[in-house]
Amino acid sequence: MLLRNVFTKTIRDLRWPTFWVALGMGAMTGYFALLFPTYSKIMDMNALLEKMGPMAKIFGSSIGDASTLIGFLHFELFSMMLPAGMIAFAAGLASGFTAGEESRGTIDVLLSYPVPRRRLVLEKSLAILIACFVIAAATGLFAVVGAALSASELPVGPLSAALALVVLLSLAFGAIALAISAATGNRGAAIGVTVALMIAMYLIDALANIVDGLNTIRPLSLFKYYAGHDPLRYGMDLGDTAVLVSVTAVFLVIALVAFERRDLAA
Amino acid sequence: MTAAIETEKLTKYYGRSRGIIDIDLTVESGQIFGFLGPNGAGKSTTIRLLLDLIRPSSGHARVLGLDIHHDRLAIDRRVSYVPGELSLYSELTGGQLLTYLGNLHGSIDAIYRDKLIERVELDPTKRIKSLSRGNKQKVGLVAAFMIRPELIILDEPTAGLDPFVQLEFEHLCEETRSEGRTVFISSHQLPEVEHLCDRVGIIREGRLLAVESIADLKQRALRRLEIDFGGSVPAGAFVGLPGIRDMNVHDGILNCTVMGSVDALIKAAARYEVRNVRSIETSLEEIFMAYYGSGDGIAAAAGAGEASHVAA
Repeated sequence: MLLRNVFTKTIRDLRWPTFWVALGMGAMTGYFALLFPTYSKIMDMNALLEKMGPMAKIFGSSIGDASTLIGFLHFELFSMMLPAGMIAFAAGLASGFTAGEESRGTIDVLLSYPVPRRRLVLEKSLAILIACFVIAAATGLFAVVGAALSASELPVGPLSAALALVVLLSLAFGAIALAISAATGNRGAAIGVTVALMIAMYLIDALANIVDGLNTIRPLSLFKYYAGHDPLRYGMDLGDTAVLVSVTAVFLVIALVAFERRDLAA
Repeated sequence: MTAAIETEKLTKYYGRSRGIIDIDLTVESGQIFGFLGPNGAGKSTTIRLLLDLIRPSSGHARVLGLDIHHDRLAIDRRVSYVPGELSLYSELTGGQLLTYLGNLHGSIDAIYRDKLIERVELDPTKRIKSLSRGNKQKVGLVAAFMIRPELIILDEPTAGLDPFVQLEFEHLCEETRSEGRTVFISSHQLPEVEHLCDRVGIIREGRLLAVESIADLKQRALRRLEIDFGGSVPAGAFVGLPGIRDMNVHDGILNCTVMGSVDALIKAAARYEVRNVRSIETSLEEIFMAYYGSGDGIAAAAGAGEASHVAA
Protein backbone atom coordinates (compact mmCIF):
# COMPACT_ATOMS: atom_id res chain seq x y z
CA MET A 1 0.00 0.00 0.00
CA LEU A 2 1.66 3.18 -1.20
CA LEU A 3 -0.18 5.50 1.15
CA ARG A 4 1.39 4.10 4.32
CA ASN A 5 3.82 6.90 5.08
CA VAL A 6 5.67 9.86 3.59
CA PHE A 7 8.30 7.59 2.02
CA THR A 8 5.86 5.33 0.20
CA LYS A 9 3.68 8.29 -0.73
CA THR A 10 6.73 9.96 -2.31
CA ILE A 11 7.56 6.75 -4.19
CA ARG A 12 3.98 6.82 -5.40
CA ASP A 13 4.32 10.44 -6.52
CA LEU A 14 7.59 9.64 -8.29
CA ARG A 15 6.57 6.43 -9.99
CA TRP A 16 5.64 7.94 -13.33
CA PRO A 17 8.37 10.56 -13.57
CA THR A 18 10.88 7.86 -12.65
CA PHE A 19 9.45 5.47 -15.21
CA TRP A 20 9.65 8.00 -18.02
CA VAL A 21 13.14 9.25 -17.18
CA ALA A 22 14.35 5.65 -16.86
CA LEU A 23 12.77 4.82 -20.19
CA GLY A 24 14.26 7.88 -21.85
CA MET A 25 17.78 7.46 -20.53
CA GLY A 26 17.65 3.72 -21.03
CA ALA A 27 16.41 4.00 -24.59
CA MET A 28 19.09 6.53 -25.42
CA THR A 29 21.83 4.35 -23.98
CA GLY A 30 20.41 1.19 -25.53
CA TYR A 31 20.19 2.97 -28.87
CA PHE A 32 23.88 3.87 -28.80
CA ALA A 33 24.83 0.36 -27.73
CA LEU A 34 22.66 -1.19 -30.43
CA LEU A 35 23.92 1.01 -33.24
CA PHE A 36 27.54 1.13 -32.13
CA PRO A 37 28.78 -1.36 -34.78
CA THR A 38 27.09 0.65 -37.52
CA TYR A 39 28.53 3.91 -36.20
CA SER A 40 32.05 2.57 -35.97
CA LYS A 41 31.78 1.25 -39.53
CA ILE A 42 30.72 4.63 -40.90
CA MET A 43 33.31 6.64 -39.04
CA ASP A 44 36.45 6.05 -37.18
CA MET A 45 35.74 7.53 -33.76
CA ASN A 46 39.37 7.60 -32.72
CA ALA A 47 40.28 9.51 -35.86
CA LEU A 48 37.48 11.95 -35.14
CA LEU A 49 38.73 12.54 -31.62
CA GLU A 50 42.26 12.95 -32.91
CA LYS A 51 41.07 15.55 -35.37
CA MET A 52 39.57 17.49 -32.50
CA GLY A 53 43.01 17.60 -31.00
CA PRO A 54 43.27 18.87 -27.44
CA MET A 55 39.58 19.82 -27.51
CA ALA A 56 38.74 16.14 -27.29
CA LYS A 57 40.03 16.24 -23.75
CA ILE A 58 36.97 18.19 -22.82
CA PHE A 59 35.16 14.86 -22.71
CA GLY A 60 37.47 13.57 -20.04
CA SER A 61 41.14 13.39 -19.14
CA SER A 62 41.47 10.19 -21.13
CA ILE A 63 38.60 8.97 -23.12
CA GLY A 64 40.22 5.64 -23.77
CA ASP A 65 39.53 3.79 -26.91
CA ALA A 66 36.49 5.19 -28.71
CA SER A 67 36.55 2.22 -31.03
CA THR A 68 35.24 0.13 -28.13
CA LEU A 69 31.64 0.44 -27.04
CA ILE A 70 32.56 1.53 -23.53
CA GLY A 71 34.76 4.30 -24.88
CA PHE A 72 32.02 5.33 -27.26
CA LEU A 73 29.46 5.48 -24.44
CA HIS A 74 31.88 7.54 -22.38
CA PHE A 75 32.25 10.05 -25.19
CA GLU A 76 28.58 10.17 -26.17
CA LEU A 77 26.76 9.83 -22.87
CA PHE A 78 28.78 9.67 -19.68
CA SER A 79 30.78 12.82 -20.35
CA MET A 80 27.70 14.98 -20.10
CA MET A 81 24.27 13.73 -21.13
CA LEU A 82 23.66 11.13 -18.45
CA PRO A 83 25.02 13.09 -15.47
CA ALA A 84 23.27 16.29 -16.58
CA GLY A 85 19.98 14.46 -17.05
CA MET A 86 20.17 12.66 -13.75
CA ILE A 87 21.24 15.80 -11.88
CA ALA A 88 18.31 17.70 -13.36
CA PHE A 89 16.01 14.90 -12.21
CA ALA A 90 17.37 14.71 -8.65
CA ALA A 91 17.78 18.45 -8.12
CA GLY A 92 14.42 19.22 -9.67
CA LEU A 93 12.67 16.84 -7.32
CA ALA A 94 14.68 17.78 -4.26
CA SER A 95 14.03 21.48 -4.73
CA GLY A 96 10.30 20.84 -4.82
CA PHE A 97 10.02 18.52 -1.84
CA THR A 98 9.55 20.87 1.05
CA ALA A 99 9.18 24.10 -0.92
CA GLY A 100 6.58 22.44 -3.12
CA GLU A 101 4.50 21.34 -0.15
CA GLU A 102 4.85 24.84 1.26
CA SER A 103 3.79 26.65 -1.88
CA ARG A 104 0.90 24.24 -2.45
CA GLY A 105 -0.05 24.73 1.19
CA THR A 106 -0.24 21.01 1.89
CA ILE A 107 2.49 21.20 4.51
CA ASP A 108 0.12 22.62 7.16
CA VAL A 109 -2.13 19.57 7.14
CA LEU A 110 0.74 17.11 6.69
CA LEU A 111 2.67 18.43 9.68
CA SER A 112 -0.43 18.58 11.85
CA TYR A 113 -0.24 14.79 11.82
CA PRO A 114 2.46 13.08 13.85
CA VAL A 115 5.21 13.49 11.24
CA PRO A 116 8.40 15.08 12.53
CA ARG A 117 9.83 17.62 10.11
CA ARG A 118 13.11 15.71 10.03
CA ARG A 119 11.42 12.49 9.03
CA LEU A 120 9.59 14.29 6.26
CA VAL A 121 12.90 15.40 4.72
CA LEU A 122 14.61 12.05 5.28
CA GLU A 123 11.83 9.91 3.87
CA LYS A 124 11.50 12.09 0.79
CA SER A 125 15.28 12.04 0.28
CA LEU A 126 15.34 8.27 0.54
CA ALA A 127 12.71 8.12 -2.17
CA ILE A 128 14.89 10.22 -4.53
CA LEU A 129 17.84 7.95 -3.87
CA ILE A 130 15.81 4.92 -4.84
CA ALA A 131 14.39 6.62 -7.93
CA CYS A 132 17.91 7.54 -9.09
CA PHE A 133 19.13 3.99 -8.62
CA VAL A 134 16.15 2.65 -10.54
CA ILE A 135 16.93 4.99 -13.43
CA ALA A 136 20.61 3.99 -13.36
CA ALA A 137 19.72 0.30 -13.26
CA ALA A 138 17.34 0.69 -16.19
CA THR A 139 20.01 2.57 -18.13
CA GLY A 140 22.53 -0.19 -17.44
CA LEU A 141 20.06 -2.85 -18.42
CA PHE A 142 19.25 -1.18 -21.73
CA ALA A 143 22.98 -0.79 -22.43
CA VAL A 144 23.67 -4.45 -21.74
CA VAL A 145 20.74 -5.60 -23.85
CA GLY A 146 21.71 -3.24 -26.69
CA ALA A 147 25.29 -4.48 -26.58
CA ALA A 148 24.16 -8.10 -26.59
CA LEU A 149 21.90 -7.51 -29.59
CA SER A 150 24.65 -5.81 -31.54
CA ALA A 151 27.19 -8.41 -30.39
CA SER A 152 29.44 -5.67 -28.97
CA GLU A 153 31.59 -6.22 -25.96
CA LEU A 154 30.52 -4.24 -22.88
CA PRO A 155 32.25 -4.87 -19.55
CA VAL A 156 29.54 -4.75 -16.89
CA GLY A 157 31.81 -3.88 -13.96
CA PRO A 158 33.06 -0.51 -15.23
CA LEU A 159 29.61 0.29 -16.61
CA SER A 160 28.05 -0.25 -13.19
CA ALA A 161 30.77 1.79 -11.53
CA ALA A 162 30.19 4.72 -13.87
CA LEU A 163 26.42 4.53 -13.39
CA ALA A 164 26.83 4.39 -9.61
CA LEU A 165 28.97 7.52 -9.78
CA VAL A 166 26.33 9.25 -11.92
CA VAL A 167 23.87 8.50 -9.12
CA LEU A 168 26.21 9.72 -6.38
CA LEU A 169 26.98 12.91 -8.31
CA SER A 170 23.27 13.53 -8.83
CA LEU A 171 22.51 12.91 -5.17
CA ALA A 172 25.19 15.43 -4.19
CA PHE A 173 23.56 18.09 -6.39
CA GLY A 174 20.15 16.94 -5.19
CA ALA A 175 21.26 17.47 -1.58
CA ILE A 176 22.45 20.99 -2.43
CA ALA A 177 19.07 21.77 -4.00
CA LEU A 178 17.30 20.24 -1.01
CA ALA A 179 19.32 22.34 1.44
CA ILE A 180 18.56 25.58 -0.40
CA SER A 181 14.89 24.70 -0.70
CA ALA A 182 14.58 23.59 2.92
CA ALA A 183 16.37 26.69 4.20
CA THR A 184 14.52 29.24 2.08
CA GLY A 185 11.26 27.62 1.01
CA ASN A 186 12.04 29.04 -2.43
CA ARG A 187 11.87 26.38 -5.10
CA GLY A 188 12.99 28.64 -7.94
CA ALA A 189 16.11 29.70 -6.08
CA ALA A 190 16.92 26.08 -5.28
CA ILE A 191 16.70 24.96 -8.90
CA GLY A 192 18.40 28.06 -10.28
CA VAL A 193 21.37 28.04 -7.94
CA THR A 194 21.88 24.29 -8.32
CA VAL A 195 21.79 24.34 -12.11
CA ALA A 196 24.15 27.34 -12.22
CA LEU A 197 26.47 25.48 -9.87
CA MET A 198 26.31 22.38 -12.03
CA ILE A 199 27.22 24.30 -15.19
CA ALA A 200 30.05 26.15 -13.47
CA MET A 201 31.45 22.96 -11.97
CA TYR A 202 31.13 21.11 -15.25
CA LEU A 203 33.02 23.84 -17.13
CA ILE A 204 35.75 24.02 -14.49
CA ASP A 205 36.30 20.28 -14.68
CA ALA A 206 36.06 19.96 -18.46
CA LEU A 207 38.20 22.99 -19.24
CA ALA A 208 40.80 22.07 -16.66
CA ASN A 209 41.85 19.31 -19.07
CA ILE A 210 42.99 21.92 -21.56
CA VAL A 211 43.58 25.02 -19.42
CA ASP A 212 46.27 24.40 -16.85
CA GLY A 213 45.33 27.37 -14.70
CA LEU A 214 42.02 25.81 -13.79
CA ASN A 215 43.64 22.83 -12.13
CA THR A 216 44.04 24.72 -8.86
CA ILE A 217 40.29 25.14 -8.46
CA ARG A 218 39.40 21.83 -10.02
CA PRO A 219 38.94 20.09 -6.63
CA LEU A 220 36.03 22.48 -6.05
CA SER A 221 34.14 20.84 -8.88
CA LEU A 222 32.07 17.80 -8.00
CA PHE A 223 32.60 16.52 -11.54
CA LYS A 224 36.23 15.86 -10.64
CA TYR A 225 35.04 13.21 -8.21
CA TYR A 226 32.67 11.78 -10.75
CA ALA A 227 34.98 11.16 -13.70
CA GLY A 228 38.36 12.14 -12.37
CA HIS A 229 39.55 8.56 -12.16
CA ASP A 230 37.85 7.25 -15.27
CA PRO A 231 35.36 4.83 -13.76
CA LEU A 232 34.56 3.42 -17.19
CA ARG A 233 38.09 2.05 -17.34
CA TYR A 234 39.17 1.61 -13.77
CA GLY A 235 35.94 1.22 -11.79
CA MET A 236 34.99 3.26 -8.72
CA ASP A 237 37.62 5.19 -6.86
CA LEU A 238 37.10 4.98 -3.12
CA GLY A 239 38.34 8.49 -2.42
CA ASP A 240 36.05 10.04 -5.06
CA THR A 241 33.12 8.02 -3.81
CA ALA A 242 33.81 9.17 -0.26
CA VAL A 243 33.89 12.83 -1.33
CA LEU A 244 30.55 12.60 -3.17
CA VAL A 245 28.90 10.74 -0.31
CA SER A 246 30.25 13.23 2.24
CA VAL A 247 29.05 16.25 0.27
CA THR A 248 25.61 14.65 0.04
CA ALA A 249 25.59 13.93 3.78
CA VAL A 250 26.70 17.45 4.73
CA PHE A 251 24.01 19.14 2.63
CA LEU A 252 21.39 16.71 3.84
CA VAL A 253 22.24 17.63 7.42
CA ILE A 254 22.08 21.32 6.52
CA ALA A 255 18.65 20.71 5.00
CA LEU A 256 17.46 18.86 8.11
CA VAL A 257 18.66 21.50 10.53
CA ALA A 258 17.45 24.44 8.45
CA PHE A 259 14.03 22.95 7.88
CA GLU A 260 13.64 22.08 11.53
CA ARG A 261 14.26 25.63 12.67
CA ARG A 262 12.43 27.64 10.09
CA ASP A 263 8.99 29.28 10.08
CA LEU A 264 7.02 27.51 7.38
CA ALA A 265 5.19 29.55 4.78
CA ALA A 266 1.47 29.90 5.26
CA MET B 1 -8.36 19.80 34.68
CA THR B 2 -5.65 20.76 32.22
CA ALA B 3 -6.53 23.62 29.93
CA ALA B 4 -6.79 22.73 26.26
CA ILE B 5 -4.79 25.78 25.29
CA GLU B 6 -2.71 28.01 27.47
CA THR B 7 -0.55 30.79 26.13
CA GLU B 8 1.68 33.08 28.07
CA LYS B 9 2.81 36.35 26.55
CA LEU B 10 2.88 34.62 23.19
CA THR B 11 4.43 36.99 20.68
CA LYS B 12 5.33 36.73 17.04
CA TYR B 13 6.97 39.26 14.81
CA TYR B 14 7.63 38.65 11.13
CA GLY B 15 10.79 40.61 10.77
CA ARG B 16 9.63 43.98 12.07
CA SER B 17 5.99 43.58 11.22
CA ARG B 18 3.50 42.55 13.85
CA GLY B 19 2.07 39.08 14.08
CA ILE B 20 0.69 38.87 17.60
CA ILE B 21 1.78 40.58 20.80
CA ASP B 22 1.67 39.24 24.36
CA ILE B 23 -1.28 36.92 23.94
CA ASP B 24 -2.37 35.43 27.27
CA LEU B 25 -5.14 33.04 26.41
CA THR B 26 -6.58 30.12 28.31
CA VAL B 27 -9.12 27.82 26.72
CA GLU B 28 -10.60 25.35 29.16
CA SER B 29 -11.30 21.80 28.06
CA GLY B 30 -14.79 20.75 27.09
CA GLN B 31 -15.96 23.93 25.47
CA ILE B 32 -16.41 25.44 22.07
CA PHE B 33 -14.26 28.51 21.93
CA GLY B 34 -14.59 31.20 19.32
CA PHE B 35 -11.48 33.13 18.38
CA LEU B 36 -12.75 36.29 16.81
CA GLY B 37 -11.21 39.19 15.05
CA PRO B 38 -11.03 40.95 11.73
CA ASN B 39 -8.85 39.61 8.93
CA GLY B 40 -5.18 40.24 9.64
CA ALA B 41 -5.72 40.49 13.40
CA GLY B 42 -3.41 37.54 14.09
CA LYS B 43 -5.82 34.60 14.33
CA SER B 44 -3.98 32.39 11.87
CA THR B 45 -0.63 33.43 13.31
CA THR B 46 -1.77 32.30 16.76
CA ILE B 47 -3.04 29.00 15.39
CA ARG B 48 0.11 28.29 13.36
CA LEU B 49 2.19 29.02 16.46
CA LEU B 50 0.13 26.51 18.45
CA LEU B 51 0.79 23.95 15.70
CA ASP B 52 4.54 24.67 15.74
CA LEU B 53 4.48 25.55 12.04
CA ILE B 54 6.02 28.86 12.99
CA ARG B 55 8.02 29.67 16.11
CA PRO B 56 7.27 32.38 18.65
CA SER B 57 9.48 35.46 18.95
CA SER B 58 8.86 35.23 22.68
CA GLY B 59 6.44 33.73 25.16
CA HIS B 60 5.23 30.18 25.68
CA ALA B 61 2.27 28.03 24.94
CA ARG B 62 0.97 24.67 26.02
CA VAL B 63 -1.62 22.54 24.30
CA LEU B 64 -3.32 19.84 26.42
CA GLY B 65 -0.70 20.65 29.00
CA LEU B 66 2.12 19.77 26.59
CA ASP B 67 4.86 22.03 25.28
CA ILE B 68 3.99 23.05 21.72
CA HIS B 69 7.50 22.42 20.44
CA HIS B 70 9.08 19.70 22.54
CA ASP B 71 5.99 17.51 22.84
CA ARG B 72 4.99 18.01 19.24
CA LEU B 73 4.27 14.40 18.27
CA ALA B 74 2.21 13.72 21.37
CA ILE B 75 0.17 16.82 20.57
CA ASP B 76 -0.24 15.86 16.90
CA ARG B 77 -1.75 12.53 17.89
CA ARG B 78 -4.41 14.23 20.00
CA VAL B 79 -5.07 17.48 18.17
CA SER B 80 -6.35 18.05 14.66
CA TYR B 81 -6.43 21.10 12.49
CA VAL B 82 -8.32 22.39 9.48
CA PRO B 83 -6.58 25.39 7.92
CA GLY B 84 -8.57 28.26 6.45
CA GLU B 85 -6.95 27.93 3.07
CA LEU B 86 -7.33 24.19 2.89
CA SER B 87 -4.89 22.65 0.41
CA LEU B 88 -4.88 18.90 -0.05
CA TYR B 89 -3.07 16.56 -2.41
CA SER B 90 -5.25 17.21 -5.41
CA GLU B 91 -4.13 14.12 -7.36
CA LEU B 92 -5.55 11.81 -4.68
CA THR B 93 -9.19 10.96 -4.20
CA GLY B 94 -10.83 12.01 -0.95
CA GLY B 95 -10.77 8.39 0.20
CA GLN B 96 -7.07 7.98 -0.60
CA LEU B 97 -6.22 11.17 1.24
CA LEU B 98 -8.13 10.03 4.32
CA THR B 99 -6.32 6.68 4.13
CA TYR B 100 -2.96 8.42 3.90
CA LEU B 101 -3.65 10.81 6.78
CA GLY B 102 -5.10 7.95 8.81
CA ASN B 103 -1.92 5.95 8.30
CA LEU B 104 0.21 8.92 9.30
CA HIS B 105 -1.82 9.23 12.46
CA GLY B 106 -1.50 5.55 13.22
CA SER B 107 -4.78 4.68 14.87
CA ILE B 108 -8.01 5.53 13.14
CA ASP B 109 -11.39 3.99 13.78
CA ALA B 110 -12.32 3.14 10.18
CA ILE B 111 -15.96 2.60 11.04
CA TYR B 112 -16.21 6.03 12.63
CA ARG B 113 -14.40 7.54 9.63
CA ASP B 114 -16.85 5.95 7.19
CA LYS B 115 -19.74 7.16 9.27
CA LEU B 116 -18.37 10.71 9.08
CA ILE B 117 -18.00 10.40 5.30
CA GLU B 118 -21.64 9.40 5.15
CA ARG B 119 -22.76 12.17 7.46
CA VAL B 120 -21.25 14.97 5.40
CA GLU B 121 -22.24 13.17 2.18
CA LEU B 122 -18.74 13.09 0.79
CA ASP B 123 -18.03 11.03 -2.33
CA PRO B 124 -14.64 9.49 -1.44
CA THR B 125 -13.99 8.19 -4.95
CA LYS B 126 -13.69 11.63 -6.52
CA ARG B 127 -10.29 13.20 -7.06
CA ILE B 128 -9.77 16.20 -4.82
CA LYS B 129 -8.88 18.43 -7.76
CA SER B 130 -12.39 17.88 -9.16
CA LEU B 131 -14.12 18.84 -5.89
CA SER B 132 -15.75 22.17 -5.21
CA ARG B 133 -14.51 24.30 -2.34
CA GLY B 134 -17.35 23.12 -0.11
CA ASN B 135 -16.66 19.47 -0.90
CA LYS B 136 -12.94 19.92 -0.25
CA GLN B 137 -13.90 21.40 3.07
CA LYS B 138 -15.83 18.20 3.81
CA VAL B 139 -12.66 16.17 3.25
CA GLY B 140 -10.85 18.48 5.65
CA LEU B 141 -13.58 18.13 8.28
CA VAL B 142 -13.64 14.32 8.07
CA ALA B 143 -9.83 14.27 8.26
CA ALA B 144 -9.96 16.44 11.36
CA PHE B 145 -12.80 14.71 13.20
CA MET B 146 -11.85 11.11 12.32
CA ILE B 147 -9.00 11.00 14.82
CA ARG B 148 -11.45 11.91 17.60
CA PRO B 149 -9.18 14.75 18.65
CA GLU B 150 -9.10 16.03 22.21
CA LEU B 151 -8.73 19.46 20.68
CA ILE B 152 -9.79 20.43 17.20
CA ILE B 153 -8.58 23.70 15.75
CA LEU B 154 -10.59 25.14 12.89
CA ASP B 155 -9.42 28.22 11.06
CA GLU B 156 -12.41 29.95 9.44
CA PRO B 157 -14.14 26.59 8.92
CA THR B 158 -17.53 27.65 7.70
CA ALA B 159 -16.63 29.52 4.54
CA GLY B 160 -18.03 27.74 1.51
CA LEU B 161 -20.03 25.11 3.37
CA ASP B 162 -23.55 24.54 2.19
CA PRO B 163 -26.27 24.84 4.86
CA PHE B 164 -26.65 21.10 5.24
CA VAL B 165 -22.95 20.51 5.87
CA GLN B 166 -22.86 23.60 8.06
CA LEU B 167 -25.52 22.00 10.26
CA GLU B 168 -23.69 18.67 10.32
CA PHE B 169 -20.52 20.53 11.20
CA GLU B 170 -22.26 22.18 14.13
CA HIS B 171 -23.54 18.81 15.33
CA LEU B 172 -20.00 17.45 15.17
CA CYS B 173 -18.73 20.36 17.24
CA GLU B 174 -21.48 19.85 19.81
CA GLU B 175 -20.77 16.11 19.99
CA THR B 176 -17.13 16.87 20.51
CA ARG B 177 -17.99 19.18 23.38
CA SER B 178 -20.44 16.74 24.94
CA GLU B 179 -17.64 14.19 25.11
CA GLY B 180 -15.54 16.66 27.06
CA ARG B 181 -13.32 17.46 24.14
CA THR B 182 -12.55 20.98 22.96
CA VAL B 183 -13.27 22.91 19.79
CA PHE B 184 -11.36 26.06 18.89
CA ILE B 185 -12.87 28.01 16.01
CA SER B 186 -11.47 31.15 14.50
CA SER B 187 -13.77 33.45 12.63
CA HIS B 188 -14.09 37.04 11.58
CA GLN B 189 -17.85 36.87 11.82
CA LEU B 190 -19.49 36.55 15.19
CA PRO B 191 -22.94 35.58 13.85
CA GLU B 192 -21.42 32.48 12.26
CA VAL B 193 -20.27 31.09 15.57
CA GLU B 194 -22.18 32.85 18.36
CA HIS B 195 -24.84 30.14 18.69
CA LEU B 196 -22.12 27.50 18.79
CA CYS B 197 -19.59 28.97 21.17
CA ASP B 198 -19.49 28.98 24.96
CA ARG B 199 -16.82 31.59 25.11
CA VAL B 200 -15.18 33.95 22.71
CA GLY B 201 -11.80 35.61 22.65
CA ILE B 202 -11.46 38.82 20.74
CA ILE B 203 -8.25 39.68 18.97
CA ARG B 204 -7.47 42.93 17.22
CA GLU B 205 -4.23 44.17 15.74
CA GLY B 206 -2.32 41.32 17.28
CA ARG B 207 -3.58 41.82 20.82
CA LEU B 208 -6.13 39.83 22.75
CA LEU B 209 -8.72 42.37 23.88
CA ALA B 210 -10.98 40.20 25.97
CA VAL B 211 -12.27 36.74 26.65
CA GLU B 212 -15.91 36.51 27.53
CA SER B 213 -18.64 33.97 27.78
CA ILE B 214 -21.41 34.39 25.25
CA ALA B 215 -23.84 34.49 28.17
CA ASP B 216 -22.03 37.47 29.72
CA LEU B 217 -21.89 39.20 26.42
CA LYS B 218 -25.63 38.77 26.06
CA GLN B 219 -26.08 40.07 29.59
CA ARG B 220 -24.67 43.29 28.39
CA ALA B 221 -26.98 43.37 25.47
CA LEU B 222 -28.11 46.83 24.54
CA ARG B 223 -31.80 47.26 23.97
CA ARG B 224 -33.62 50.17 22.51
CA LEU B 225 -36.77 50.54 24.53
CA GLU B 226 -39.83 52.59 23.70
CA ILE B 227 -42.58 52.86 26.29
CA ASP B 228 -45.86 54.46 25.34
CA PHE B 229 -47.63 55.81 28.42
CA GLY B 230 -51.29 56.72 28.61
CA GLY B 231 -50.47 60.29 29.61
CA SER B 232 -47.52 62.45 30.34
CA VAL B 233 -44.98 61.16 32.78
CA PRO B 234 -42.21 63.03 34.59
CA ALA B 235 -38.80 62.24 33.08
CA GLY B 236 -37.35 62.53 36.55
CA ALA B 237 -39.02 59.26 37.56
CA PHE B 238 -36.59 57.39 35.32
CA VAL B 239 -33.39 59.36 35.73
CA GLY B 240 -30.59 57.44 37.38
CA LEU B 241 -32.03 53.99 36.95
CA PRO B 242 -29.28 51.40 36.53
CA GLY B 243 -28.23 50.69 32.94
CA ILE B 244 -30.29 53.47 31.40
CA ARG B 245 -28.89 56.01 29.03
CA ASP B 246 -29.89 58.30 26.21
CA MET B 247 -33.27 58.72 27.80
CA ASN B 248 -35.85 61.21 26.69
CA VAL B 249 -39.57 61.57 27.33
CA HIS B 250 -41.67 63.27 24.73
CA ASP B 251 -45.46 63.36 24.39
CA GLY B 252 -45.82 60.57 26.91
CA ILE B 253 -43.37 58.32 25.01
CA LEU B 254 -40.14 57.30 26.65
CA ASN B 255 -37.17 56.35 24.52
CA CYS B 256 -33.96 54.98 25.95
CA THR B 257 -31.17 52.50 25.67
CA VAL B 258 -30.86 49.87 28.36
CA MET B 259 -27.81 47.84 29.03
CA GLY B 260 -28.35 44.51 30.76
CA SER B 261 -31.50 43.98 32.77
CA VAL B 262 -34.60 46.03 32.06
CA ASP B 263 -36.04 45.14 35.46
CA ALA B 264 -35.63 48.52 37.15
CA LEU B 265 -37.04 50.42 34.22
CA ILE B 266 -40.11 48.18 33.89
CA LYS B 267 -40.81 48.42 37.60
CA ALA B 268 -40.53 52.19 37.47
CA ALA B 269 -42.77 52.33 34.43
CA ALA B 270 -45.36 50.08 36.08
CA ARG B 271 -46.36 52.93 38.37
CA TYR B 272 -48.00 54.60 35.38
CA GLU B 273 -50.40 53.47 32.76
CA VAL B 274 -48.46 51.67 30.06
CA ARG B 275 -50.07 51.28 26.66
CA ASN B 276 -47.30 49.62 24.83
CA VAL B 277 -43.68 48.55 25.19
CA ARG B 278 -41.41 48.04 22.22
CA SER B 279 -38.03 46.47 22.71
CA ILE B 280 -35.41 46.19 20.01
CA GLU B 281 -32.53 43.93 20.93
CA THR B 282 -29.21 44.62 19.33
CA SER B 283 -27.39 41.64 17.88
CA LEU B 284 -24.29 40.25 19.50
CA GLU B 285 -22.42 41.58 16.54
CA GLU B 286 -23.47 45.09 17.52
CA ILE B 287 -22.52 44.57 21.14
CA PHE B 288 -19.28 43.18 20.01
CA MET B 289 -18.58 46.13 17.81
CA ALA B 290 -19.68 48.51 20.53
CA TYR B 291 -17.02 47.22 22.85
CA TYR B 292 -14.24 46.17 20.60
CA GLY B 293 -14.91 47.38 17.13
CA SER B 294 -13.91 50.56 15.44
CA GLY B 295 -17.57 51.50 15.05
CA ASP B 296 -17.36 54.73 17.01
CA GLY B 297 -21.07 55.46 16.87
CA ILE B 298 -22.13 52.38 18.80
CA ALA B 299 -19.13 52.58 21.07
CA ALA B 300 -20.19 56.07 22.02
CA ALA B 301 -23.73 54.88 22.61
CA ALA B 302 -22.46 52.18 24.94
CA GLY B 303 -20.46 54.75 26.84
CA ALA B 304 -16.76 55.18 26.29
CA GLY B 305 -16.03 54.67 29.97
CA GLU B 306 -17.65 51.24 30.05
CA ALA B 307 -15.92 50.17 26.86
CA SER B 308 -12.48 50.97 28.09
CA HIS B 309 -13.27 49.32 31.40
CA VAL B 310 -14.07 46.04 29.70
CA ALA B 311 -11.16 46.24 27.32
CA ALA B 312 -8.83 46.68 30.26
